[in-house]
Amino acid sequence: MMKKALILTSMIGLLVVTIGCNEVRRDTGKVYMPDMSYSRALETYSSTEALTQAGIHYNARPVEGTVARGAMGSYPFKNDSAGYARSAVVKNPLDVAAVDMKEAGRIYLINCGICHGTKLDGNGPLWKGGDGPYPAAPRNLVTDPIATTMAEGTMFHSITYGKNLMGGYGSQLSTKQRWEIVAYIKAKQAEAAAPATAAVN
Amino acid sequence: MSTKQFSTHLIFFLSSFLFFSVTISNAQDAGAGKTIFMSKCASCHNVLKKGTGPALAGLEERHKWADHKELLAWINNPAAYMAKDPYTQGLKAEYGSMMTAFADVTLQDVDNIVAYVNEAAKPAPAPAAGSGEVVEEGGGNSIFFGVISLLLGVIALILMQVNSNLRKLSDQAEGVKTPAGIPFWRNKTYITLISICLFVFGGYMVAKGAIGLGRQKDYQPVQPIYYSHKVHAGINQINCLYCHGSAEQSKHAAIPSVNTCMNCHKAIQAYEKGPKLFDEEGNEIDGTAEIQKLYEYAGFDPDQPNKWDPSMIKKPIEWVKIHNLPDHVYFSHAQHVNAGKVQCQSCHGAINEMGEVKQVADLSMGWCINCHRESNVQFNYDSTKGNKFYSIYEKFHNDLKAGKMDSIKVKDIGGLECQKCHY
Repeated sequence: MMKKALILTSMIGLLVVTIGCNEVRRDTGKVYMPDMSYSRALETYSSTEALTQAGIHYNARPVEGTVARGAMGSYPFKNDSAGYARSAVVKNPLDVAAVDMKEAGRIYLINCGICHGTKLDGNGPLWKGGDGPYPAAPRNLVTDPIATTMAEGTMFHSITYGKNLMGGYGSQLSTKQRWEIVAYIKAKQAEAAAPATAAVN
Repeated sequence: MSTKQFSTHLIFFLSSFLFFSVTISNAQDAGAGKTIFMSKCASCHNVLKKGTGPALAGLEERHKWADHKELLAWINNPAAYMAKDPYTQGLKAEYGSMMTAFADVTLQDVDNIVAYVNEAAKPAPAPAAGSGEVVEEGGGNSIFFGVISLLLGVIALILMQVNSNLRKLSDQAEGVKTPAGIPFWRNKTYITLISICLFVFGGYMVAKGAIGLGRQKDYQPVQPIYYSHKVHAGINQINCLYCHGSAEQSKHAAIPSVNTCMNCHKAIQAYEKGPKLFDEEGNEIDGTAEIQKLYEYAGFDPDQPNKWDPSMIKKPIEWVKIHNLPDHVYFSHAQHVNAGKVQCQSCHGAINEMGEVKQVADLSMGWCINCHRESNVQFNYDSTKGNKFYSIYEKFHNDLKAGKMDSIKVKDIGGLECQKCHY
């Protein structure tokens, strides 16, 4: 009798545990001391609604024309066809020879490589020769004359604001990083062109 | 049907027949067309979707494009063609830019490209029945074990019943009198046993609950959009830092803003090529519908991708923050990613395999401390600029070189200081 009862209870217990373990945790649970856990100051991602209600103006943007400490001066042209046309005269303000190509290559792989490919051949994992999810072929940066003859400034303009289907990277990369990527692409283009010209000669 | 109508039909039928036979005799090569299309056209045109330029499917039914010479004239020199052609002027107005000239394209190339476009525009054959119906059973194992233990339990019960009955029978046969048993609720041994069990189990549950206060291991909230890290970071190999770039630069590995999503989703408007998606409850997710949700936030019209720019974003997506630290703990991603060279997966687990993101580590103090006890400090040897953060520890460096120490733990450089996290 007793053994039966024991076995029955343990089995019910086991079942409860099994079912309990399969549940998805959708709640955050409770905390011990809320005043030490939740910030009273406005943390990143906290709602700024309270500020608006209190009549405090806050738009989460830097004041126009200001430059962050240690950052490069901002790019002068706007995202329009006039700005695009004028961008060609802008030169890379970085000392290209001193650019850390390892670092530039790393940023390129993170931000550009998924479409334009690790070899800059326009065949990144999002395109995969037409098998990836991206519906348009990314530009081949080393053979396509549009990319190889593009002025540094125009390339910078396109990276900053986006061009055609490509999105703008002004919000993801700093001015310096964008110029580093331009220098990296130009260096790779020169590298790819060198053997070709050698072969022609 | 009048004779006149009949004759028109006949003429139409004959002419279309003639057209097709001509196209066949032209020996259009869709394979060669694909090669040209991919290298010259695909940057701006998709067969089925609008991109920088119009979708090309059914192009022969539009304008004068059935005549490939017209098409060639347009491709070779769009500016000259457009000067006296209102249709292409309208295209420029709609798409915002004129097509790039391809002077080297020949009539044969155009024939091949159109052949490829027509072939690619045909609806794909329906997948064979039964394919793609592979249902993955996530919690299969525990159910299996549950059933097995249930079966074993029942068998044990039956055997015990048989055993006691047999004993009774043998006792009766031998004439042994069995004393009437004490019911188990009055049996002191059982009462003691059960109370000890209750005490241990109850104590364990109470302690576990108390320790679990403020911890959120396995927290997996429902997000406003079903965003699958498995699809983005796993299948499509997008680097974590593409979206969470500020992990290198700030305290937070920021959630990307809507314009970052739109970098790709301006063009990728449907979920077509990946595996089926399921949420944690096992419901199937329609990926395309989830992308549509993004467009609501972005104020994006999929029919006019070129008209969109980030200033049209309506509202931010309010993602639910999963990894929460109490206010009295300071944690900086930049420090761990740059100086510590800690991989994202060390703390966040196999994010690239998660459909819905789940908190893998319990983010308890013991968990942090453990890692600080065991992790080697990443001195930056090879960069000319050096990792300035650790420059005052050059002594350690030299000691290592001299062989006085074999490694340096985080605790050696203040990793156990209370103020590192609490201040």
